[in-house]
Amino acid sequence: MEKRRVMNRKIGVYVCECGPNIADAMDIDRIIEAVSGLENVAVVERYKLLCSPDGKKYLAEQIKKHKLTHLVVGACSPKQHEATFMGVCEEGGMNPFLMQMANLREQIAWITPDKEKATERAIRHMKAAVRRVRYHAPLEQKEIECNADVLVIGGGIAGMSAALLLSSPDRKVFLVEKNTELGGMVSRCEKLFPDMARGSEITESRLKSLKEDDNIEVLTGAAVENVLGFFGNFVVTVREKESEPREFKVGAVVLATGADLFDPSALAEYGYGKIKNVVTAPELEEMNLKGNIALENGKEPKSVGIIHCVGRKEKGYCSEVCCRVGIKISRYLKEKIPGVSITQFYQDLCIPGSVAQAFYEETRNAGTEFVCTEAVKLSESDKKIQIDHDGKLDAVDMVVLLPAIEPAKDTSKISELLGIKKGKGEFLTEEHEKIGPVTTTVEGVFLAGTVSGPKTVRDSVSQSEAAAGKILSSLVPGRKLETEARTSKISESLCTGCRTCLTVCCYSAIEYDESRGICTVNEVLCKGCGNCAAACPSGAAIHQQFTPTQIHREVMEILR
Amino acid sequence: MTKKQQKAKDQVLVIGAGMAGIEASLTLAAADKKVYLVEKEPLFGGKVIKFEEVFANMECSTCMAAPKQQEVLQNEKIELLTLSKVKEIQGEAGNFTVKIGKKARYVSLEDCIGCNECFEPCPVSLRNEFEENLGKRKAIYIPCPGALPNAPSIDTENCVRFTKGEDCQLCKEACMFEAIDFDQKDEEVELNVGAIIVATGFDLMDSEQISDWGYNGQANVYTALEMERLYASNGPTQGKITLRNNKEPASAAMIHCVGREKAGYCSAVCCMYSFKFIHYLKDKLPEIALYDFYSDLCMPGKSYQPFFEHLKDKTESVRFQDLKIAHQNGKVRIKYKSLADQDKTLDVDMVILAPAIVPAKGASELAGVLGVEQDENGFFGFQSSDRSPEESGREGIYLAGCVLGPEDIGKAIAQADAAAGKVLALLG
Repeated sequence: MEKRRVMNRKIGVYVCECGPNIADAMDIDRIIEAVSGLENVAVVERYKLLCSPDGKKYLAEQIKKHKLTHLVVGACSPKQHEATFMGVCEEGGMNPFLMQMANLREQIAWITPDKEKATERAIRHMKAAVRRVRYHAPLEQKEIECNADVLVIGGGIAGMSAALLLSSPDRKVFLVEKNTELGGMVSRCEKLFPDMARGSEITESRLKSLKEDDNIEVLTGAAVENVLGFFGNFVVTVREKESEPREFKVGAVVLATGADLFDPSALAEYGYGKIKNVVTAPELEEMNLKGNIALENGKEPKSVGIIHCVGRKEKGYCSEVCCRVGIKISRYLKEKIPGVSITQFYQDLCIPGSVAQAFYEETRNAGTEFVCTEAVKLSESDKKIQIDHDGKLDAVDMVVLLPAIEPAKDTSKISELLGIKKGKGEFLTEEHEKIGPVTTTVEGVFLAGTVSGPKTVRDSVSQSEAAAGKILSSLVPGRKLETEARTSKISESLCTGCRTCLTVCCYSAIEYDESRGICTVNEVLCKGCGNCAAACPSGAAIHQQFTPTQIHREVMEILR
Repeated sequence: MTKKQQKAKDQVLVIGAGMAGIEASLTLAAADKKVYLVEKEPLFGGKVIKFEEVFANMECSTCMAAPKQQEVLQNEKIELLTLSKVKEIQGEAGNFTVKIGKKARYVSLEDCIGCNECFEPCPVSLRNEFEENLGKRKAIYIPCPGALPNAPSIDTENCVRFTKGEDCQLCKEACMFEAIDFDQKDEEVELNVGAIIVATGFDLMDSEQISDWGYNGQANVYTALEMERLYASNGPTQGKITLRNNKEPASAAMIHCVGREKAGYCSAVCCMYSFKFIHYLKDKLPEIALYDFYSDLCMPGKSYQPFFEHLKDKTESVRFQDLKIAHQNGKVRIKYKSLADQDKTLDVDMVILAPAIVPAKGASELAGVLGVEQDENGFFGFQSSDRSPEESGREGIYLAGCVLGPEDIGKAIAQADAAAGKVLALLG
């Protein structure tokens, strides 16, 4: 098939001198001579600087003048100027995917001091590009219609913040919360560090804005049952309480489903659930919220021990916020119970950032004792709780445990529903921890807040607004989405339906068609990574700009 | 004076072209905003391009930054203004008028192809600040191989043509592309923008402030950024880790929390990059003896502790209370008090300090120009639970990255996208 198609090629080959960079490092005349006789080559020329305005004009005119069907440019790295020369192709009326660059500068001229060797290598690279480009077929960048509405799953601080930033008269937001109330963990804290603001005030001000916003529909007691489709065109099924499931069309999904806390009863050393007056931080928050911090006998505690890093060893990571939560608890206990003595037992104080240290120092100076210890063991003794820390003993009325943050119970379900993999700590995985902290490998699905790992309120808000920012910039009402042109294809006749490609696709772009027993590529989702083409045992999956023939011809010429 | 009159609401100013500024610019440009990305240096990419690898996955830093930098350079919606500084801002959210001082590069970005032929003949030799003074440069220079934009600039404070009025044309004569233009003039650019994002980053605590940690720029006591450049394959030693006498160190100590007491806060990333240095040092010098001096280990989040655990057996970890550094017969002597109150001494060949992260030089001046507040440490923004972290206190001006305080790249990138989101929601 491919062979028959390449008969009528007219390939233009152009070598850029790049000033002295390429011209001095190799014998360009010999390169021209070597490629001139190759099959389908219609014209071979050299030019002083092809990326200059004059060079670009010259090249576009050459394409028209010689009625070229394909183009080879021997110049710098494609990273530098591939986009430039693809633009020139369009200028000359040629499909830009019919051009191939040979990197004569970075890969040869700049690293090969011997002119003879450099020339020889350049000839191989140029010939390889010519042989390869003969098999290039035109590719099209497609545009698809999209829906700008957004589904936000999770109505905690992150979900609420994202919804508020996203809503506008031409963008509807559906905010789905599994509980009957919005607000999440923050609404259950009376105070937040470091400014000791009231959690409920923060969530209530957002609740008020949500209610006033006609472009946001809040669904409480609701669960997302199904998500189909892709970026710009998702169809989601949501069931609210006992009612019939509803279907929405949205362009993007923000996952802000939060996290849970580690259950300390799994660890014998803390005696949680067995020893009286050993409570977790959320339990103390609840007491505080109700305005009654008391022991089981109804009396106020006179001494409190706060234990950090509960479950850290088991989880294998630091939960980031617990030290500051412990300090915050010290603050309000001192305020509510004058004269209470507080001791914090920690391994390493983790108080990153420009304000946490002052928050810690003020608390310490106001009388909270901080004890650095490797391990603690709690036991009951004479109506008190005995804390054994590295062999030393202390007795207190009440112990507050700071449990690790762990993935929410339904993380696996969400992971399956949206195709986002679980990774470190079993949290959902970002596209890239550093440069893609809120995007995922499924285009159009974003992460915000503790769903991707332990985070402060501040960082959760930041992430939710980042997810909103990404959506505002990529999913503009009325604008079409451009798809990747260099995608993979699966040949219907060659595919055996083994589904190997499904397991290696990072972008959930491959679907198995039950009725036909074959796999198909969704061109909108495919990013052209080529994993499927490499993995396919029957040669059915092919990357359209790295076909076996293209690669074979190119490599053969390099190795010749 | 150039005047760029367009609809203000379609244009945004981003100040600082490090990772955060780049991210914000790309996100805004994707929404069809015209972005003016202002950078004071002749190159862009911020601190990240000084690193060879990034914790915790030890990814190649350039591979992370360069594609984004290329995107900026190729994006028609983004205009990068290097060697530029914001001088004046007037107006309000939706319609700011900004004056920018743009210093002449004396090299045409259109004509120069970055062949570097012009450096060789330049008679001036100087210490290269980008290389933390560990390498040399000329008066016409690019700060390091791979720097973008890939075109040199002339340092007029040191070029003899500008300092002494000599008629030196050596660089111009060496240029085959007639890219060097001594007649370029400093410009003032006036812009009309609807919103502003500030992403001016950080600096490390000044060398004088850390002199009581034995740092003098001469002995074998290095800062973290010096270590980064020593390990960098495009650095002054091409990645060879050597002492100032060109010998390889047989022992090295990392010291965390340098200047933490003076700064008054924990700089959030030092523990992690000090662990990264364990990897750097063991990678190049497998036999080296390593000591890691820390007070508290700060490795927040799901991925940092596993990184530490992977490396901790390659070093001796020492938890110290009080630490002093002296120079002793070519060795560096560390006198410290252990957690058990014992006085101890250790001699090593090399010491690497992790100095506190402080607001970037010029932050106060910029805060004045922008009319935004700084906190007591000099960082911008508010640590209030009721505000978005990116809010500056002035409507239409948003913040991202280490201008808000010390943090890792992931957080800075999220803030950049959040700031862009705020801008898009504001301007529509």
